[in-house]
Amino acid sequence: MTAIEARGLTKRWGSFTAVDSLDLAVAEGECYAFLGRNGAGKSTTARMLLDFIHPSAGSVQVLGGSGRDPGVRARIGYLPGDLNLPRSITASEAISYFGSIGSPPDPPELDDLIERLGMNRDRPFHNLSTGGRRKVGLVLAFMGDPDLLILDEPTSGLDPVLQDTFREILNERKERGATVWLTSHVMSDVEHVADRVGLIDRGRLAQELSMEDLRRQSTGDIQLSFGGPPDASWFDSVPGVSDVTVNGDDLSLHLDGPVTAVLARAAELGAVGIRTHQRELEDIFLETYSRGEDDR
Amino acid sequence: MRRSWLIYLRWMRDRCRSTIWWSIGITLVSVVTAAFYPSLTSAAGSELGSNSSSTMSSLLGLGEGIDPSTPVGFLWSFNYSNQLPWLLMALGIALGTASISGDESDGTLEYLLAKPVTRTEVAMARFGGMVTVLLVASVVNLVGVAATMPLFDLTDPVTVTALDGSTSTAAGATVGDLFVGGLSAMAVGLGSGAVAYLVGAATGRRGLAMGVSSGFAVAGYVLYTLSNVTGDFEWVTWLSPWRWFVDDAMMVNGMTVDILWPVALAAVSLGLGWALFLRRDLQS
Repeated sequence: MTAIEARGLTKRWGSFTAVDSLDLAVAEGECYAFLGRNGAGKSTTARMLLDFIHPSAGSVQVLGGSGRDPGVRARIGYLPGDLNLPRSITASEAISYFGSIGSPPDPPELDDLIERLGMNRDRPFHNLSTGGRRKVGLVLAFMGDPDLLILDEPTSGLDPVLQDTFREILNERKERGATVWLTSHVMSDVEHVADRVGLIDRGRLAQELSMEDLRRQSTGDIQLSFGGPPDASWFDSVPGVSDVTVNGDDLSLHLDGPVTAVLARAAELGAVGIRTHQRELEDIFLETYSRGEDDR
Repeated sequence: MRRSWLIYLRWMRDRCRSTIWWSIGITLVSVVTAAFYPSLTSAAGSELGSNSSSTMSSLLGLGEGIDPSTPVGFLWSFNYSNQLPWLLMALGIALGTASISGDESDGTLEYLLAKPVTRTEVAMARFGGMVTVLLVASVVNLVGVAATMPLFDLTDPVTVTALDGSTSTAAGATVGDLFVGGLSAMAVGLGSGAVAYLVGAATGRRGLAMGVSSGFAVAGYVLYTLSNVTGDFEWVTWLSPWRWFVDDAMMVNGMTVDILWPVALAAVSLGLGWALFLRRDLQS
């Protein structure tokens, strides 16, 4: 089953096209990370999912219906990039208010969420720090066990411990079958929780890849240090090694395949140091957008 | 319906403190003005309005047969025809602007609409909230003036001497007079608030909603007042809410059917604003 399906989804304002003929599908239970630079069209797409804005062309289906349908929105937990609530409302009041008009939270589950995220229940929203507001937003998004979570920069303003807690909670929700639509500039978040990544560039879907593809592409560069100048031919016999270069006492190589043979050969040659660099999502992100810059 | 009620209650709760302050402020202005009645009438007697220019008469709402030295004439010309409707207009415009475009500009409306509520429920709840706050402020003002007016001799009948020397007795002000005066002033506030609501619901732009509705109130006043002096543009004064409000002087002359004008304007603004709100994109 498909949780989100966009076909030719387009949003124009005058001559400006924010989202251009977007075709994508997110399966139920999948965590889809929708990434892109500022102004690439991520938020505009999310706003069309929730019917805040209407498409200029194409269509989008959410949970088998339209974001306009309150019945569909009752099954969505939403965290905007910049959460704004009435100034004087406290987190407790917000939970009670949004719970009463949406899906009422299960009290033990709610208490657990509040405790794990360390949310302050009683301070007015406008008196909370950026992180404090984010915690309130996360509790509001997660409560009521929604089928679909739309999360825009969910860990922005959270400390590393809470970022880890967030990933933990999100993975639990995924295990329970929730679908996640995630936008984030924190690549480590995406790598930890996403099943698939879509890269949007100037309103168009530039690239889509699964985390499995990414792991398969995770070939690496290795730099070895020796006590004296190494010889570039030392690793000729090791399978998967290419692009060997020597610089002073350091030897750099590119490896496609298991690292065991390289490590064994390096130990045999008396290497004194090792540094590795794996191709990560961030590299792919930067490559995609630097290509985009070149095309401009 | 239940969700609309919950949205209404939350909005009212968010405005609880400001409603209290507005109500106190409006009532204080009315009571302080009323407190001047004994000293002003004894100092100026029935000449209070007789030497006024037509501009001044217009500003004071002194239509034919309205004597500011009588209790009701005084309340009308020094408060109910000018200060009170202006304050209720300001309150109405602030509420009409806040109801949709204000929350939209603050980003709070978008989050609410991510929940299982319809735009119709939000539009109706917010309009209801605007009317309620205006009503609360008007009722507090009514109670405040009704409770204090005996202290300022406003409930006592007075003898009025006309220019030809003849005398007559004018009755003291009653709660019924205050009710009619307050209701008509509230209707003016509602009309202006409804214009702000309409523009805000149709565009989502707070500044535009406030600008257009304030312009409607001020331009209407200037148009009506200057037209009274020069006689020019009389045919367009029907656009001004002040025309029926000041000309009818319901507090002095009794309720007229013209009170339905701002009510009709409010109903049209609600319907049109709602319909346009349903169709447009939310502002980000």
